[in-house]
Amino acid sequence: MNAAGLLFGYAWLGVLALPQVAVAAAAIPTVDFARDVRPILAKNCFSCHGADDKERKAGLRLDLADSAFADHAGTRAFVAGAPDRSDAYLRLITTDADDRMPPTDSKHNVSPQEIQVIKAWLAQGALWDGKSPTVAPAAVEAKAPLGSYSPKDRALWSFAPPAKVEVPQFAKPADQGWVRSPVDAYVLQRLHGAGLAPSPRADNVTLVRRLYFDLIGLPPTPAQIDAFTTDRTPDAYARLVERLLASPQYGERWGQHWLDLVRFAETDGFEYDTHRPDAYRFRDYVIKSFNDDKPYDRFVTEQMGGDELAGEHDDDLLVAAGFNRLGPLRKNAGNQAVTSSRNEVLTEMTNVVGAAFLGVTIGCARCHDHKFDPIKQADYYRIQAFFAATQDRDVPRYTPDEQVLWKQKVALVQDEIRPLRAALRRASDDERPKLEQKIMDAEDRLPAPLPALYSVSHDVEKKSPVHVLVRGQYQQPGPRVGMRPLGVLLPDGAAELPDDTRQPRTTLAKWIVDPKNPLTARVMANRIWLYHFGRGLVATPNDFGNNGMRPSHPELLDWLAGAFVERGWSIKEMHRIILNSATYQQSSLAADAVGRAKDPENVLLWHMNRHRLDAEQLRDTLLSVAGTLNLKAGGPSVMVPIDKELIDALYKPLQWQITRDASEHQRRSIYLIAKRNLPLPFMQVFDAPDMQASCPRREATTHAPQALELLNGALSNTQAEALARRLRTQTGSNVRAQVALAYRLVTGRPPTAKERALALRFLQRQPLREFAVAMFNLNAFVYVN
Amino acid sequence: MTLDSRPTRNRREFLTDAFCGFGSLAFASLLAQQQARASVTNPLAAKTPPKAARAKSVIFLFMAGGPSHMETFDPKPLLNKLHGQKRPASFGEAKYQFVQPNAKLLGTKRTFARYGQSGIEVSDLFPLTAACVDDLAVLRSCHGDMVVHSAAQYQLFTGRVVPGFPSMGSWAVYGLGTESDALPAYVVLPDPKGALEAGLPMYGNGFLPAVYQPTMFRPGARPVLNLELPPGVSAAGRRKTIDLVRSLNQAQMAPEDGELAARIGAYDLAFKMQTEAPRLFDLSNEPKETLALYGIGQQPTDDYGRRCLLARRLVEKGVRFACVVSGGGPGTLQWDAHDDIEENHLRMSGHTDRPVAALLQDLKRRGLLDTTLVVWGGEFGRSPESQGSKGRDHHNLGFTMWMAGGGIKGGRVVGATDEIGLRAVDKPYHFRDVHTTILNQLGLDQDLLTYLHQGRKERLTEVQGKVIQEII
Repeated sequence: MNAAGLLFGYAWLGVLALPQVAVAAAAIPTVDFARDVRPILAKNCFSCHGADDKERKAGLRLDLADSAFADHAGTRAFVAGAPDRSDAYLRLITTDADDRMPPTDSKHNVSPQEIQVIKAWLAQGALWDGKSPTVAPAAVEAKAPLGSYSPKDRALWSFAPPAKVEVPQFAKPADQGWVRSPVDAYVLQRLHGAGLAPSPRADNVTLVRRLYFDLIGLPPTPAQIDAFTTDRTPDAYARLVERLLASPQYGERWGQHWLDLVRFAETDGFEYDTHRPDAYRFRDYVIKSFNDDKPYDRFVTEQMGGDELAGEHDDDLLVAAGFNRLGPLRKNAGNQAVTSSRNEVLTEMTNVVGAAFLGVTIGCARCHDHKFDPIKQADYYRIQAFFAATQDRDVPRYTPDEQVLWKQKVALVQDEIRPLRAALRRASDDERPKLEQKIMDAEDRLPAPLPALYSVSHDVEKKSPVHVLVRGQYQQPGPRVGMRPLGVLLPDGAAELPDDTRQPRTTLAKWIVDPKNPLTARVMANRIWLYHFGRGLVATPNDFGNNGMRPSHPELLDWLAGAFVERGWSIKEMHRIILNSATYQQSSLAADAVGRAKDPENVLLWHMNRHRLDAEQLRDTLLSVAGTLNLKAGGPSVMVPIDKELIDALYKPLQWQITRDASEHQRRSIYLIAKRNLPLPFMQVFDAPDMQASCPRREATTHAPQALELLNGALSNTQAEALARRLRTQTGSNVRAQVALAYRLVTGRPPTAKERALALRFLQRQPLREFAVAMFNLNAFVYVN
Repeated sequence: MTLDSRPTRNRREFLTDAFCGFGSLAFASLLAQQQARASVTNPLAAKTPPKAARAKSVIFLFMAGGPSHMETFDPKPLLNKLHGQKRPASFGEAKYQFVQPNAKLLGTKRTFARYGQSGIEVSDLFPLTAACVDDLAVLRSCHGDMVVHSAAQYQLFTGRVVPGFPSMGSWAVYGLGTESDALPAYVVLPDPKGALEAGLPMYGNGFLPAVYQPTMFRPGARPVLNLELPPGVSAAGRRKTIDLVRSLNQAQMAPEDGELAARIGAYDLAFKMQTEAPRLFDLSNEPKETLALYGIGQQPTDDYGRRCLLARRLVEKGVRFACVVSGGGPGTLQWDAHDDIEENHLRMSGHTDRPVAALLQDLKRRGLLDTTLVVWGGEFGRSPESQGSKGRDHHNLGFTMWMAGGGIKGGRVVGATDEIGLRAVDKPYHFRDVHTTILNQLGLDQDLLTYLHQGRKERLTEVQGKVIQEII
């Protein structure tokens, strides 16, 4: 049977919903050997198992790690990470008087508290004076038990298959009139239950602005607003949705959500923060996938295992697999701890699968069994095992001529470096640092690498052995594990996959996107809902476990998840379902006092949520409104001019090479370089994620540095100049027309009489560019209703 | 008292007064200010800590690159005796970044003397700081997990060896808000000589909301980004623009809209920062005696002295956390003395001894030391073995930090490394214990100060740290 066949031989578990039991995990304090353990041993054990040769019993010394952890005729006094296999511990707790230690006739007595200390020390990895004890090879080669999960473990709501619940029906004509789709029926049912009513439909100007920002991340022009508000055909709204879904800018907006989730960046992070000059191809792949409405199951599979499926020229698939190496990467000079680095890489690969696809915090089970969810530590490493043979691979994409030319340039620099390296080998330690610095300086002059696909490969030769790591520490390997998907979703005793499974990551992906997987469709449906409404039906989008929030509308979530799979995992279909609902088209004004009192958080969706433009939307909109936005799509990322002080704050300031073509500086924010150690201040201040960990939802904070950025920042002031020019060009010197156009561009609507009066009074004395600065600082600009 | 419990005034009027009235705030009663701070719409509102606080502010004197404990606060006579020999096996193993297994021990050329009532030994690198030793609690048994800069710096600041976690400054502001109306709550004053290995993510807010991010004071005339008006714009003109923003925003605002009211408030705070912060940077109104105390206007102390004095002025205004960095750029300009421990540490201590001592004295005479916790240290110490003939490598198994003020008992030494300074053997304290103690002095509890991230209630200390009981 091939691997996939075996995999699909796994039964999916339909699970009964049992009452949830809160899992309280008491934190165990870290036991320190010198402080806590050695005194107990010294007092009670060393007289017979210490330094005194004459008194020693059984040849065992507990004052020396070498002896205490050694195999003595098949038993070992201490086994790191395993109190239940540690003979010394077992003999402390045994009820058999003949075996019990210390001997009953001795004057020693180890208290129950002291026994607990020793047990905890063993369980925590038995560090001996800060070092890990040598683990006998036999223990490391042993396979970890497959483990079992109780019905209670399996009863988590998100592990149950989506329920088929009848779509609610309504008797009253008013309700029937409001409900446009099953989405609305589920929402209205909950509202009625709480004695609430939906808000009225938003006006057309609000709706068109909402749709534009939501789907393409840009504001509608006045002409686009007019086209919609004057369209009297009944399907005007639905056609606008279609037009925006077909726009190439759609992928640039929705791709950003995905890039947040997979913590996309184009540099390594850590001290060198080395650039990944080809990582932009992954960004372009994501944008194109959204624009093409690539089925989500395919999208997931390509990212996890694209290289396994690709021929040598399937660039898209090779690029997609770059997903596996998007995480931060630590490189250091000096005595490298290779095992440690590899472990960090594997951890990055593993954790993002749980966070992004499954909505399960499997990363919590790296150091110990998950404290809240039924994920055993061994099962965490079984997922990691799918990545054991995954290695970085840069697939070359250049012509032989280009290569010749490039090699010549490299040779020039290498001619400089070679004698330095030779000198380095002979150098005294005192001379070393200067030579190393010279070499680094020369390396900075190497030509940019030739184009390549930033991908991975399945390299059996370099496969890392995967062990359960005691307390997650690479120095302390425990038993070995093989590949198996998340154990709690499999029947007890489900076997691991054979070690020679040919396409391990694709195999895992197939399990993830199997329609019977209860998590995948729910998690993605919830994300799409969240990006539209600002809050998920499950408010913790990366955590569908015990510690996460329960769904506010479980039936709706299951209906959406079902529809997602039935409609071919089409993300655009999900948009259609959600955007054409009455729920989405509600006003965001939250005018109903009853609603404000009963449901101030709007969990039940009695109104639409107002949305603060996020960092990319805000910057793109500044450029768009000022008429300076460059809509060029794709290609290498742009480095914009920034304050010299910020560049100097880089460990390697030469890394910031401002893109020469200035027209590139006005491109959409998704095309600006994502550099881990230098997030752009404008983006950072408006809550852009830090690119270090998966970000499922942007915060929208309000603080004074944002005001300073929009008032005094270079971007806002240069774009204000441009907007002022645009207003003059399009309206001449008619101040009333300038104010009217400014309002239409910036807020989508004309000014009210009061606003017009205030603006006109201001413009009697103050320059138009200051008015433009003011417009960029309006709530009506920064928020979408 | 909540806002809603004032029936005579509606919420909009109240918020307008408390947040928006730039002029009116100055005349507002203290009570009104406190109520404004307590408003749910302002995440930086000052909060009462769950425990009794001994310190209101923290100044972290970050000695970047890793100062040697054996040259500063941890005398090791045996090390000098064993100079040039291999480390005796009885001291155990150590993993270094560069030093090879056959390296020889390196004695120190520094001399130590006993200072103050406490008689604590301090080396001749710090004669002025030594005079304050009765205020210092010297922790000779610190240790961390990483022996390379970036990872060790992340652990020192965030408790984790990888980037992406909030720094202690961000945690402090998350827990306590700020007492300052017109200044950022958490300020980093980096060394103008350049960046550090761990880069900006080390100081950052990680997964905490952006409102808890640090403000980096940059070198030069414009320390805070975007505080200066753009060229050609006058303050009076800009004030009119901000007034227009407020009028237009209020024209459209529903009375009960706290979120938008908070945004209007942020503009007034921004304007206030714009006017007050430049005053803070202007040291010309300090007495000459104070400038001289910090070594300002003379080399090599001018730069670090200025930044230490700024730190005092910041905490005086209620700033919660200030980090004053010594060292930046290539390793030789940090405390990263791979090549020559003598040359490096003489130079680096020359920059910092006077300013650090001045900061302690100045805080003390102003009565601020009681409520300001001062912490000194680097991301690790240095190796007892020599790198080359006269340098020392990184070393994380045992090194020294010190604390002063903020309820810390001075004039005492806690813990010890072994006789050659290799390993913390008596009362070892990990970074997480240092973090726990800092939080404790601020009235915060490591177990209560949590933030749910990726399904885990994250905290500064990752796993449980201990309060260093000997010094509180």
